[in-house]
Amino acid sequence: MNVLRRDFVVREPLLVAILVLITIVFSTATHSYSQAYDRRRNLLGQQWYANGDAELQQNRPVAAVEAFRTALLYAPRNWDYRLRLAEALTQAGHTKQALNYYQSLWQINPQNGVVNLHLARFAASAGQVADAERYFNGAIFGVWAENANDHRRESLFELVNFYLNRGDTGQAESQLIILSGNLPEDPVLHARVADLYSKVGDNQRALAQFRQAIQLDPNSFSALYGAGNAAFHLGDYRSAESYLIRAAHDDSAGPDAKTLLEVTQAASSLNPYERGLRESEKIQRVLHIFRIASARLDSCTQTSGSAGQFPPALAPLQEPWQRWKNNATSRFLTQQPDQIEPLFEFSTAIEKQSQSLCGAPTPEDSALLALANTRPSDEK
Amino acid sequence: VSIPDTSLHSSPTPAGPFVSAADSLRRRITAQLSFNEDRFFLILAVFIGIFAGLAVVCFRITMEWARLYLLGSSLTPSSWRAFLAPSLTGLFISLLIFTIFRGAAGSGLNQTKAALYIFDGYIPLRTVIGKFITASLAIGSGHSLGPEDPSLQIGAGLASAVGTRLKLSRKKMRLLAPVGAAAGLAAAFNAPISAVLFVIEEIIGHWSAGILGAIVLAAVSSVVTMRLFLGAEPLFRIPSVGVLRWQELVAYAVMGILGGFASVVFSKAIGWLRPKMKASPAALQFFYPGFAGLLIGFIAFAGFPQVMGAGYDFMDQAMHDQYTWQILGMLAGLKILATTLSFVSGTPGGMFAPTLYVGAMLGGAVGTVEHLFFPNLTGSVGTYALVGMGVLFAGFLRAPITSVFMALEVSGDYTIILPVLVANTFSYLISRRLQSVPILEAITRQDGLSLPAMEEKREEESLNVEDAMGPQPSILLDGTKPANELWPFVSQTAEPVFLVILPHQPPAQISFGDLRHLVEAGDNRPLLKSEAVAAIPYLHPDEDLEDALPLATRYPLIPVVNRADLSQILGVLNLTAVMDAYRKTHEDFPAPY
Repeated sequence: MNVLRRDFVVREPLLVAILVLITIVFSTATHSYSQAYDRRRNLLGQQWYANGDAELQQNRPVAAVEAFRTALLYAPRNWDYRLRLAEALTQAGHTKQALNYYQSLWQINPQNGVVNLHLARFAASAGQVADAERYFNGAIFGVWAENANDHRRESLFELVNFYLNRGDTGQAESQLIILSGNLPEDPVLHARVADLYSKVGDNQRALAQFRQAIQLDPNSFSALYGAGNAAFHLGDYRSAESYLIRAAHDDSAGPDAKTLLEVTQAASSLNPYERGLRESEKIQRVLHIFRIASARLDSCTQTSGSAGQFPPALAPLQEPWQRWKNNATSRFLTQQPDQIEPLFEFSTAIEKQSQSLCGAPTPEDSALLALANTRPSDEK
Repeated sequence: VSIPDTSLHSSPTPAGPFVSAADSLRRRITAQLSFNEDRFFLILAVFIGIFAGLAVVCFRITMEWARLYLLGSSLTPSSWRAFLAPSLTGLFISLLIFTIFRGAAGSGLNQTKAALYIFDGYIPLRTVIGKFITASLAIGSGHSLGPEDPSLQIGAGLASAVGTRLKLSRKKMRLLAPVGAAAGLAAAFNAPISAVLFVIEEIIGHWSAGILGAIVLAAVSSVVTMRLFLGAEPLFRIPSVGVLRWQELVAYAVMGILGGFASVVFSKAIGWLRPKMKASPAALQFFYPGFAGLLIGFIAFAGFPQVMGAGYDFMDQAMHDQYTWQILGMLAGLKILATTLSFVSGTPGGMFAPTLYVGAMLGGAVGTVEHLFFPNLTGSVGTYALVGMGVLFAGFLRAPITSVFMALEVSGDYTIILPVLVANTFSYLISRRLQSVPILEAITRQDGLSLPAMEEKREEESLNVEDAMGPQPSILLDGTKPANELWPFVSQTAEPVFLVILPHQPPAQISFGDLRHLVEAGDNRPLLKSEAVAAIPYLHPDEDLEDALPLATRYPLIPVVNRADLSQILGVLNLTAVMDAYRKTHEDFPAPY
């Protein structure tokens, strides 16, 4: 038994116990040492991060990049520091480095909304449609630390603008429909969506969104102006006029609103296809339209051609104009009502062709052009 | 080598009718419970791993503190700090080495290897402490050196200290040093597999199954310990590797070629400059670390502070496409210069990190240029930088196996293996062609030492039994026949021993004298029934001749048999044939007289 005690019971466990004891002492000392250093590291990281922020605020992105890189030296895994460095790189114009940085962040956290949005912007500016769509969707459905709905909505707005810049109105409109379905009761947001609808050419939905914006804020100039504009393009001149009159009362109303109001009022008074209009009134309006077009043609001929001679680009109009000049009378149109339409057509043709040749149009000329463009829907 | 259980290695047992059952039981329990050095060695390996891990944590933190105080907290130090810190610290380190820690100079790799092969694994604790202090000061002050090799020596030194206190046998002490070395390196690089392979390739110098278990245990426990304190993240952010296109292999081959040439330049620079500096007067040598620091400070002052220190943060930036290819190329060249200066001056610190740094910069440069000309290829610059690390590792340190596994372990992505293999092969072959002696071997020779290297072993032609075996003997005795029937065939020969063929069994042997004795005694039994026929070991043609040599010294004739049919003799082996085979292999060497 002595052998047992000496060789096993005593020696091996004793050695292990001693080794364990040394391990505990050594570990405790190392822990204290590393804790002290960790505290210092954290402090330095925060200091350099604050320096970087200050540099960015003072619009010194190069210095900010250096500061954020130093901050990351002390906290290499700090997400905020890394994100801020990427932002600073972007601001410093180091686009490629910033892109690489965002990509490395994306690899770590592919669901992060901020990173996806930045990558989407890079892809959009590089014309990489598939990547842009992927990252925009990543941002829209991604994780945001705060105000997630607002950020997702803004990402969707950016996606719509991306499609609009590419001329892909179909995709833009489909995203707008999604966007408008989830809007909170905010007149500014409704007006923004409506504005985008106008850009994709969907004036019906634009008008609906502007109306919602006006309901929420009846004094919103941008909503009133937008609604007037949309109604104008839809050929609903009466509604357009009412919105634009309200918009023009605003102190901040610019010349655009006033000009559009004049055009709208002219279009409203000239519109030969207005519902409930009697035949004689229609004839009078068409004759007035012909006189406006003739005046436009006259002024154009005087400025760009010799007296009595049409400019070459308008020469094809000379013969029919001469013919209509003699026939455009109230009696002629009353006797031959089927000529009302051709006269209107000819008048708008004059306006269209002289548009690029004969200088700035008057509000009445613009009204005629609008009438020419919106006529089918009006008839309907 | 297969030895039948007939009695060759059986030892006499004391069992007898008078041994009591209680006594037998006591012996058995004693054998089980007594201090078992082999068993304890594995437990010890775990503790050494933990100690090495803790020491490396302290070493890294000390290095960081030193950097903080000497170079300031900014990523790129101010000009005056960059200029003064490495030179003044270099002088202070010289003072420490010349007065207190004489064994602390150098990287630590060759010192550990020398300790293993010359001093039975003994490394003085003073050297460990000296290496800890001086290397952390050197790297922290901006000398272009890495912490891995010193960590390796610190680990080995701690293991040696523990082994010495426990009064382990000389054999175990020799095994303990590589265990500690692997633990230290694993903790420093946060990569246990690479550490184990590196220690086997560069420290032990040969594959040894006996020690592998202990080394792995130590490496794993050290990495676990280190991660408890410093976290599990690698030293740099690993880029995604992505899908590889076959066209990119051309770019990786180009990188391998460039890496091979860079490795040769790096090796030649150190190999040429180091002996010259070592040959200079001691008084002058005192100033070398300070002078090297001054030149590094000048490089930093000139606008390249990235070459200072281990440079992991800048490797990280190179991996994430933060530099142009011109800057990357410049940094690779300047790092070679700075590391050469630091290393040849005798400043304590390793070459592991600088090698990776040069590789990362070179790889990044190749990747960036490739992207300029072929933007549609998929490999990221980071992938090229990662492969570049392995390339320099294969070419400069000449550790090809570690280089491949390191890239795999660090990236954690098996798609990288093909580019790594392509690039590393080119680099390794070019380096071997243009620099016949690996740098670590060259340094060893410069120090007047001769230590084993795995590369030598790889190049040695291994002899097999079939290279030495002679033809089947003309006389083979049929074991089913009696001795008197066989006697007429053997009586006139001069052979001292004959092989006996046994049905469905390996051959046995009988001596001429025994056979004559059987005939004279009139023994009519078949030979296989006779006690005079003795079992002998047998060999197979593909077995290593080195393993057969001990048998050849003990048995005059060893049968070489078919693996599928042990009774079929393919030839025989004897000592003369073995010696002839070795003589033939080494006949290129001049005769000693």
